[in-house]
Amino acid sequence: MKKWLSSVLVLMMLGTSLAACSSKEETATNSKNTESTNDTETSSKAVTYPIKTDKKLTYWGEINGNLIGVAATHEDVPFFRDWQKQTGVPLKFTAPPTGQVKEALNVMLASGDLPDMIEYNFLGDFPGGPEKAINDGYILKLNDLIDKHAPNLKKYLQDNPDVDKMVKTDSGSYYAFPFVRGDDFLRVFQGPIIRQDWLDELGLPVPETIDDWTKTLTAFKEKKGAKAPFAVVSKPRFFNESGNGAFLGAFGVTRGFYQEDGKIKFGPSESGFKEYLKLFRQWYADGLIDKNIATADSKALDGNMASGATGASVGNAGGGIGKWQPLVEGNDPKAVLVAAPYPVLNKGETPKFGQKHQAYASEGTVAISTSAKDPVLAVEMLDYGYSEEGRLFFNFGTEGVSYNMEDGYPKYTDLLMKNPDKLAPAQAISMYARGSYNGPFIQDKRYAEQFFALQTQRDAVGIWKNTDAAKYSLPPITPTPEESSEYATIMNDINTLVDEMTLKIILGQEPIDQYESYVNKMNSLHLDRAIAIQQAALDRYKAR
Amino acid sequence: MAKTQPAVGKQALGSAASTNRFIRDFRINKYLYLMMIPVVAYYLIFHYAPMYGALIAFKEYSPMKGILGSDWVGLKHFQDFFNSYYFWRILKNTIVISLYSLIFEFPAPIILALLINEVRSKSFKRVAQTITYMPYFISLVVICGIITDFTNADGIINTLFTYFGYDGQAMLQKPELFRPIYILSEIWQRIGWESIIYIAALMSIDVEQYEAARMDGASRLKQMFYITLPGILPTISIMLILRMGNLLNVGFEKIILLYNPITYETADVISSFVYRKGLLEFGWSYSSAVGLFNSVINLALLVTANYVSRKVNKNSLW
Repeated sequence: MKKWLSSVLVLMMLGTSLAACSSKEETATNSKNTESTNDTETSSKAVTYPIKTDKKLTYWGEINGNLIGVAATHEDVPFFRDWQKQTGVPLKFTAPPTGQVKEALNVMLASGDLPDMIEYNFLGDFPGGPEKAINDGYILKLNDLIDKHAPNLKKYLQDNPDVDKMVKTDSGSYYAFPFVRGDDFLRVFQGPIIRQDWLDELGLPVPETIDDWTKTLTAFKEKKGAKAPFAVVSKPRFFNESGNGAFLGAFGVTRGFYQEDGKIKFGPSESGFKEYLKLFRQWYADGLIDKNIATADSKALDGNMASGATGASVGNAGGGIGKWQPLVEGNDPKAVLVAAPYPVLNKGETPKFGQKHQAYASEGTVAISTSAKDPVLAVEMLDYGYSEEGRLFFNFGTEGVSYNMEDGYPKYTDLLMKNPDKLAPAQAISMYARGSYNGPFIQDKRYAEQFFALQTQRDAVGIWKNTDAAKYSLPPITPTPEESSEYATIMNDINTLVDEMTLKIILGQEPIDQYESYVNKMNSLHLDRAIAIQQAALDRYKAR
Repeated sequence: MAKTQPAVGKQALGSAASTNRFIRDFRINKYLYLMMIPVVAYYLIFHYAPMYGALIAFKEYSPMKGILGSDWVGLKHFQDFFNSYYFWRILKNTIVISLYSLIFEFPAPIILALLINEVRSKSFKRVAQTITYMPYFISLVVICGIITDFTNADGIINTLFTYFGYDGQAMLQKPELFRPIYILSEIWQRIGWESIIYIAALMSIDVEQYEAARMDGASRLKQMFYITLPGILPTISIMLILRMGNLLNVGFEKIILLYNPITYETADVISSFVYRKGLLEFGWSYSSAVGLFNSVINLALLVTANYVSRKVNKNSLW
C-alpha cells in the first residue's frame, strides 16, 4: 500500500515537472499548427494516402487480448506496420499491459506525459465520461478538426444521424474516432450456449422457458453426470454475462440500469430480481450450477466445458462456441455446441433483455490528446479507417496477403483461416486486421460471415437477436462532469452491495427474505439520486 | 540501518563540543561518510521529496493543473472516507487480519528458527532452510492461483476432506474461511524467509553460555528458555515494533486475488477498497487521503510500541 502510494506520488512528481518543462514548447507548436491549418484549409479537403510527412506520432493503446502469447508489442503485429505504410504516418506505439488498461491510463494521466493519440473507451471506462476528459484537459474536442480534416468520418456521420447522435457528448462535442458496427448482424454476438448432442441423446428440445432449463440442467446432472451443468465466468463480477440480461431478462430486469417507458429503473431493486435470485438459489442448492461459481474465471470454465462437467453456459459466438467447439470435440467427437434462445418465463414470450450492442461501441475509439504535436496530422491519419480503402484494410488487412478480392467479395486467405503456425482464426485475423475486434473504423459484416466458420455460430446470431433489448436497454448516456463523481461514489457502493447480495443469497448463506433489507440498504445509499442522475442523462440524450 | 541510528542520534545531541567531535570524526571516517551519500540521497529523493505530493490529499487533484495548481478542498476526502458506508467494515477487517497475522504469523518464524537451531545435522539444517524459504520467491499471482485451485470444491484439500465424510464446498466462497486461508498461506510463504534474521541472531549467542548451562545440568528445553530466547529477545522486540508500524497496511494484491463479493464482509480491507475506489475511479486525491490516514495511524502505533518496548525491556528503535 505504502509502496504503491509512494510510487504513484513519485510518478506524479515526475509528471508535473515534465509537464512544466514541456508546456511552453507545446503552446508554441500548437499555435504553429493552427496557422498552418488556416493556410491549407481550402486545399487540403481530401488527403491522399499515404500522406507525405516526416513527423512521427505517438500512439497509446492496448494490444488485443486475442494476441496474448502471439505478439508482445505493436511492432510484432503486421497490421500496425502496414497501417503506417498505408497512411504514410510513422507511429511510435506504447502498449499498456493487456487487461490493466484502466490502471495504466490512470498512471499515465497522473504523470501528465501524454502521447499524441490514446486508444481507450472514454465513454465506458473513463470516470466522469468523455465530457470530463475534455474539460480536465486530457483530450481535444474534435469538432473543428473533424469538420475540416476528416472528410470520410464526417460524411459517414452525416449519412448516419443515429450514429452521429451516439458518438457525441450531451453538449455536442466529438471526443474520439469511433468504432462503428456497420451492420445489425454485428451487434448481437452473445447468448446462452448448450450441448446439442446431449439434448439429442436425452430426447430434449432446446430449452426456451425457465422451466425447460431446470428440466434440462437436471437431466444433464443426473443422466450425463455433469458436475457443473451450468457454469459461467464470475470475474470481475458475478455471472459476468448476466450484465446483458441472460436469465435475468426472463424476469424483466438486468443487473444495471434500463429504461421502461422513458423512465430509468435499476434492475436489482426491482421485484423481478428477487425471482431471479430465488431461481438461481434453487439451482445452486440442487447442484445445477458450478459449485465454484464465485471464483470461476474463464480458465476454469474452459476446463469444465472441455471435460464435459458443464453442458450449458453463456458466451460469445466467437469466443464461446468458436473457442469451446474444438475443446468439447477433443473429449467427445460427437459433441456439438449450439445457441439457445434467451430464456423466458412462458413459452412464446419475447425476453426483455439480451445482448445487443449499439451501432457505436465505445471500446477501441481513439482520442487525440491535448499534448499532441500535430493534431491535424493525427486527424488525417485516423480518418483513413472511414475511407473506402481504409475500411477494407481495417476489416480484412492487405490484399494479396490476408485477403483476396473474389467477385468483389474480400475473402480471407488461408494464412488467416488455416494458419500454418496453428493460430486460431481469431488470433490470425487480429495479426493482419482489426475486423475481429475494434478500432477507429467501420466494421464490415463480411468479416463475421467468414469469421464465424461454423454454421452453428452463424445461426447463433439469428437465435440470440430475438429480444426486446433495443427497446429497454440504455443508449450511451453519461452523467454531467459535475455529477459524475457523486454518481460514481453512489454506484460504487451500491454495486458492491448488489454483488454481495446476489452471491450470498444464491449460495444460500442468507435467506431469500434478506432481499428486502438489501433493497433498503440500496435506498439508504441514495439509489434514488443515482436514478435521478441517469434519468437526467437519458433526457439530455434524447434532446440531442 | 536500524542499529546504527541510535548511535548517530546520540552524536547529534549536544552542542558546540559535539560539532567539533563531528568534524574530527568526519576527517577520520571521510570515506565512510562518502559512501553514505547515495543512501541519504536515496531517502531524500525517493522518500522525503514525494511527501510533498501528499498535499493532494487536501486538494481536488487534476494532473493538468499540477499539484500546486489544483483546487483546495480541505478535509473533504477524509470526511468522505470516514462517512463511507463501508468504513467501519473495512477498518475492522484490516485490523482483524493484521492482528491475526501478528498473533499467528509473527511467532511462526521464531519457532521455526528455534527448531532449526536444535537440529544437529548440518546438512538437514541447510535443506530445511532452503525448502522453507523457497515459497517466498514465487510470485503472488501464482501463489493465489494455487490457493484457488487447492481450495476449490473439487480441489485437493476438499478431496482429502471427502475421505472423512465431509462434502466439499469451495472454501473461498465461505466468508468465515477467508482469514484462516489468508493467514495460513501467508505463514507458508514467508516463514522460511522471515526466520533467517532470527537464525542469524541465534548464531551470535555465546556458545560458552550453553556449556555452562550444561555443566549446571540444564535440560535442552531449559537452555532454550533461559539462554536462547533471551538471546534473541532484542531482535524479536525490534521486529515486533516494526511490525506494529505496519498494522494498517494489509497489502491489496493478495486480497484482491483471493476475495470475491461473498467474502467481502471478512476480506475487504482499506487497501482493496481504495483500489476499487481510488485506482479504478481515478480518485487520486481520495486515495492519497486514505494513504495519509493509514500512515498517521501507523506512525502513532509505531511510536507507542517503541515507547512500551523501551519501558518494558529496554529494547527500542530509538
